[in-house]
Amino acid sequence: MTNTTAENTTEEAVETAPTTPEGAKLDYIKVEDFSFNYTPEVRVLDKITMDIPEKQVTSFIGPSGCGKTTLLRNFNRMNDLIPGITHEGTIHIDGQEIFDKKLEVISLRKRIRMIFQKANPFPKSIYENVVYSLRVAGRNNKALLDEVVETSLRGAALWDEVKDRLHDSALGLSGGQMQRLSIAHAIANQPEVLLMDEPCSALDPIATAKIEELICKLKNKFTVIIVTHNMQQATRVSDQTAYFYLGKMIEMNATQEIFRNPSCEETERYISGKFG
Amino acid sequence: MEQPTESSPGEGSEIILDDSRFDVSRKVLLTDGFMTWFIKFGGVMVVAAVIGIFVFITSQVLPLFKGASVELDAATTTTEALPKGNYLGIAADEWMEKPLAIRDDGKFIYSDLVTGEVLESEFDFLEGDKMTALRIESGEDLIVAGTESGQVHLIEFSYSPTFKDGVRTVNEDLNLAFTGEFNGPVTKVSCGQSGDSRLIAVLTETEEGPHLELDLVQRKKSLISAGDWKEVGKTDLTETLRSDVAVQEILVTNRADAVLVVFENGEIDYHFRSGSGLNTELRQTFQPFADLNEKKIKNADFLLGDVSLVLTSPEGVNRLFSLYRSEEEPTRMFHQTKEFPALPDTPAFYSPSFRNKAFLTGTSNTATLRYATTETIRWESELPWEVTHALISRKSDSLLFLTEDRHFVRVPVDDPHPEAGIKAFFGKQLYEGSSEAKYEWQSTGGSDDFEAKLSLIPLIFGTLKGTFYAMLFAVPIALFGAIYTAEFLDPKNKVFIKPAMEVMASLPSVVLGFLAALWLAPMIEDRVPSVLCIVVLVPLGAFLFGMLWSRQPRNIKKYVREGYEFLYFAPIMLILLFLGWQMGPLVESLIFTVKDPNTGERVGDFARWWPSITGTAYEQRNSLVVGFMMGFAVIPIVFTIAEDSLSNVPDTLRTGSLALGASRWQTAWRIVLPTASAGILSAIMIGLGRAVGETMIVVMATGNTPIMEWNIFSGMRTLSANIAVELPEAPHHGTLYRTLFLGAVVLFLMTFLVNTIAEVLRQHLREKYKTV
Repeated sequence: MTNTTAENTTEEAVETAPTTPEGAKLDYIKVEDFSFNYTPEVRVLDKITMDIPEKQVTSFIGPSGCGKTTLLRNFNRMNDLIPGITHEGTIHIDGQEIFDKKLEVISLRKRIRMIFQKANPFPKSIYENVVYSLRVAGRNNKALLDEVVETSLRGAALWDEVKDRLHDSALGLSGGQMQRLSIAHAIANQPEVLLMDEPCSALDPIATAKIEELICKLKNKFTVIIVTHNMQQATRVSDQTAYFYLGKMIEMNATQEIFRNPSCEETERYISGKFG
Repeated sequence: MEQPTESSPGEGSEIILDDSRFDVSRKVLLTDGFMTWFIKFGGVMVVAAVIGIFVFITSQVLPLFKGASVELDAATTTTEALPKGNYLGIAADEWMEKPLAIRDDGKFIYSDLVTGEVLESEFDFLEGDKMTALRIESGEDLIVAGTESGQVHLIEFSYSPTFKDGVRTVNEDLNLAFTGEFNGPVTKVSCGQSGDSRLIAVLTETEEGPHLELDLVQRKKSLISAGDWKEVGKTDLTETLRSDVAVQEILVTNRADAVLVVFENGEIDYHFRSGSGLNTELRQTFQPFADLNEKKIKNADFLLGDVSLVLTSPEGVNRLFSLYRSEEEPTRMFHQTKEFPALPDTPAFYSPSFRNKAFLTGTSNTATLRYATTETIRWESELPWEVTHALISRKSDSLLFLTEDRHFVRVPVDDPHPEAGIKAFFGKQLYEGSSEAKYEWQSTGGSDDFEAKLSLIPLIFGTLKGTFYAMLFAVPIALFGAIYTAEFLDPKNKVFIKPAMEVMASLPSVVLGFLAALWLAPMIEDRVPSVLCIVVLVPLGAFLFGMLWSRQPRNIKKYVREGYEFLYFAPIMLILLFLGWQMGPLVESLIFTVKDPNTGERVGDFARWWPSITGTAYEQRNSLVVGFMMGFAVIPIVFTIAEDSLSNVPDTLRTGSLALGASRWQTAWRIVLPTASAGILSAIMIGLGRAVGETMIVVMATGNTPIMEWNIFSGMRTLSANIAVELPEAPHHGTLYRTLFLGAVVLFLMTFLVNTIAEVLRQHLREKYKTV
């Protein structure tokens, strides 16, 4: 770890700590004894128990195949689309059991937004991409949509770059812009939780820096969970870090704590780059 | 060899490290070379085959658009001139080898165009009398001659070929069939034959002025001979003559049902003979050139069929008048139907074709071959001779001219398709006997003077109509089916449904056509209200059920696994189908009622209700049946291709949309469908291509009537069905044969056009909705 990164981390920690509002729940997302199987033979998550605090950035780290993305996708039940899955245990978000049969999964997904590893804008204009979540919710008021486009794109730090070509195809944007566009349409309908699945893995360092800067701003309004393979990224953007290994959550703690003084040997070996 | 051994210690194997490991075996090289050339050859052959087909079809079609070719250079002429004198008329045999010229002194003089000899016939019917009137009815092989003493002679001329050592010799024969007696010198004669009776019109000049008489003669056939012609009776039409205007010409139609009297002031009287007796009535008096300064008629004669009259003024204005019944007239009258470009000068000769509606006319030094129906000039040229008489041969393969210096000249003509042309195929045509120009297809008829009506427009219309109704039925079902299968159905069931639909696509269309014609059409015939009920009930029921279902709270919906909703849906649809079918008669008796002509009560009868309301026909084999069955043939194709393109939309888009809180339907409708639009367009276009080219179903289930109306309860005839139906009746290289090929070209152009537009659209959609 270089000096600059360390400085950045401390600066941001200082910056962000006071912004966490008073009374924010520390167990906003409560995972209890959660296990998940793709097929009866393949268990990807094994008895995970963890609390994720509100309006903070929590990062999931761990080697490939450790189950961190699977857990993330469970939070808004994106795994429902896969045939043959089974699960045990519970996940409560803000006190609501998400596997409740009575729960409308569409409304769950409206509260808990996901941003994927690879941006996949719809083959529509930038404008239509941003307002898509409003349109599917049946909100077609032009003035409202215009306002949402501007605030969302500003929120995603993309406004200045695209304000002159809102009606051009979103497919003409660069990779970094597309990812920020994904964030813009994720926040357009004011969700509560943002799930990010390796949002920067396909981006160059400059685009990555912009996204990271954006994530730090977003936690003022949203609870952010980010899955990353990049340890520096985790230290730069997150308040909490959870380390997963072979389907188990090994350790979860404040980011500075986990990187400076991991309590498990495996965590230390992983973050110091001995394996991974 | 040593170095690699050293660099990889412990694994040194001389065999593996042999240089032969870099070799490529000959077999691989040979196979590669052979396959490269084989594939190239195959590709070239495919292109060559396609080009070959086009070249062939084009070569079959092109002659239709050519004019007549008349080879003046290849003319055959007699070496010897006819004897001096004034020649009044000519006639000829089928091969135009022994033309006959009739001199004003009643001499019949034959010329042999093979040997060049001139022979004067010894036939003498005058016996000292003087010939004063002559008309040659070529179509009836009859010469009518009138004399100074008031006699009218009917002379039949005939030719019989004999073959010796494969060489044809034509033997001529003349036979005096009948002689009638009239008062005063005969000035004009004409004759028409209808079965065993002949009607002779005779104009005589008596002391009281001109007399017009009709003479009816009949022949009693016996077992052994044809029998002699005997006079039945005469009638006098003198009253209808003008006192101040002389008669210029008398014409009797060859059906012997009309007499036309042409006056010198350009007026024509049309007398109609009804029945087989001598009752005539003056139906019409008209003046063809009434609008011109020169109202006189120089030449008036019939076209083949004797329904149309070709008239030429002394200035060369050339018009065609035809018999037809207009709306305000009780009977058929002569009306102008065509006008041809004027001749450069006074007409010198006229001859109608014996085969079609063509005629030959011209001035003394020009000739033109014209086709009446299409109003076109087939050929036009200056002649190297001064001409007094001309004749088209019976086979329409040569023209015969009698020149001023009394030589016969025979010119070969090649005009195999005079009735064809752009206007005939694609324009509105005024056909003989019809009161208005229309698009009509009627390629064959019962009589020799029938003219083929070859408009392709009703067939193109029929093709579009059939395609329209088929697509109307097929596209919504196929597309919604594909969306359901790709987006909502459990993938486990898709494994069965997809191949089942593909098997359906391979059903032979003759089976579908057979079902349509012999099962569906009779079943639907008296159950149209049932079909209408089903068309309304089933989609409505589907919507209502879907709406009710989506409104149900989650704890009810959870009992049905996602992707298995159809198990509950299908029985409801079947019940609705059954209900609709049963409801039909009830609906019919309530809404589609007509007054029964026998009992006077109102009874439900759709087949009679429809014509009484819309004024259009109701037929058993109608577009509904075809649309349904052809739709059945098109659905599997559209379904399969559309389903593929929907399934090929990347899942990331689907998850992206779902992650944003869109429902499955919103995802399918707003994201998946537009992204797959290029593929769906292809699916529809391929289905359209299938429907346009489909033959067996339409042949069997449409009734093949070439009509032009969108009425869903009438049939149609498509281009493809037309080819299938008429090809067995089309003589090789005939006009119909080539026209059917033209139909194929049009069919090809239609699909080509549709496919090109579709491809351009598809590329555009693809560009617009390409995914990252």
